[in-house]
Amino acid sequence: MNFEVIVANLPKLLEGAGLTLELVAFGLVGGAALALPAALMRVSPRWWLWAPAFAYIFFFRGTPLLVQIFLVYYGLGQFEAVRDSVLWPILREPFWCAIIAFALNTGAYTAEILRGAIQAVPVGEVEAATAFGMSRTLSLRRIILPRAFRIALPAYGNEVILMLKGSALASTITLLDLTGMARTIIARTYMPVEIFLAAALIYLGMTFVFVQLYRLLERRLSRHVVGAR
Amino acid sequence: MAEDGAAALEVAEIHKSFGSFEVLKGISLSARDGDVISMIGASGSGKSTFLRCINLLESPDRGEIRLAGETIRLRPRRGVGLVAADPKQITRMRARMGFVFQSFNLWSHLTILGNVIEAPIHVAGTPRAEAVERGEALLAKVGIAEKRDFYPAQLSGGQQQRAAIARALAMEPEVMLFDEPTSALDPELVGEVLGVMRALAEEGRTMIVVTHEMRFARDASTRVAYLHDGRIIEEGPPSQVFQSPQTERCRQFLASHL
Repeated sequence: MNFEVIVANLPKLLEGAGLTLELVAFGLVGGAALALPAALMRVSPRWWLWAPAFAYIFFFRGTPLLVQIFLVYYGLGQFEAVRDSVLWPILREPFWCAIIAFALNTGAYTAEILRGAIQAVPVGEVEAATAFGMSRTLSLRRIILPRAFRIALPAYGNEVILMLKGSALASTITLLDLTGMARTIIARTYMPVEIFLAAALIYLGMTFVFVQLYRLLERRLSRHVVGAR
Repeated sequence: MAEDGAAALEVAEIHKSFGSFEVLKGISLSARDGDVISMIGASGSGKSTFLRCINLLESPDRGEIRLAGETIRLRPRRGVGLVAADPKQITRMRARMGFVFQSFNLWSHLTILGNVIEAPIHVAGTPRAEAVERGEALLAKVGIAEKRDFYPAQLSGGQQQRAAIARALAMEPEVMLFDEPTSALDPELVGEVLGVMRALAEEGRTMIVVTHEMRFARDASTRVAYLHDGRIIEEGPPSQVFQSPQTERCRQFLASHL
């Protein structure tokens, strides 16, 4: 085991980790923005609302993230309309293509988590909101969603961790995220074991910090549950 | 509030079927200001369904509901029954009727005080400070002032139901609807909830109470209605219903429940 090569390349690896965090953060924000409307549409009794949400969730949960990244990165450029559009400067960047794919992917999973949580809100509490004169919108905003977010919290934490690790696939479209950076360094040093081990430890460290922070959040939001510590 | 004779709530000819089973076969009920009407009857006689039809938590198939002279506008929806025709009106009307559930249904992510001030602030538009002040007074009134910052799950059933009553009172409703408020409670906790309800009855609040507590029905109500098989087959002051029931059914029911 050659520790010197790890130490020597640590700054580069950390730089990669920075890009990983950036990709994941943007992906999660985009995913959350997609997930909320998708989940609300998904629980609607009107078919023209739930059907598109269902199709979206079905497609992005049913295909590999790697394929989705390729479809966005290589696929969009096939269309002249896309190349001519004002968005092309963004859509030709691998950075934004990865984020779009991540957002679409995690958005589908998060929508499904949220749908389950919305449906798990006790009927009686929703009925109480109705009985006290809340409109559907108000009851959604004040009772159903605040309850659903708390119910969804543990499953969502899991999804964030999966996203963090899934982000390694960004390296397949030339991005120098933690994994991409590790591969580049290995191509130069021929030390795969040392460098991948270092990368794995950095992933582990990021997950560890996230889990700790998330636990604090869960504790804070679960004050109403007896026995939750 | 105790202006005698004014009709606070009039419900006419409510019909409701679940599939081919007709639960309510035309129930009418009229409560004047200050009336406390206890609705008694065997399980499955339709008491709760009727109460839930009054504020349209359940959709009746036919019928009319009038609160202080204002009729709730209804329209038919296929496969459901009558639903509110005017969303603005129904939310306003519901806000005027306090509802107390059998299983409390407090909002579990809000504190007890949070539960009490939620609808006043967000439905009625009461300024927060005022809602808090009134909410605290109501919690004191039902005897759980010190629980204001607790969450529902940290309270006993009796305390939760008293909080639920405070939550309903906070909207200053014209009529209070109680759906078997003590049925989910351990026997030793029933008394504290009934105590609060008796106090409200004595204040002259208009209340419709679906209950199995015969002593409450006899001692605290101004009128008693006995439901059987989807109909009110006996109605009158408690002295009359309890001492000289007109129907054999009611006699049998009372004999087995007193």
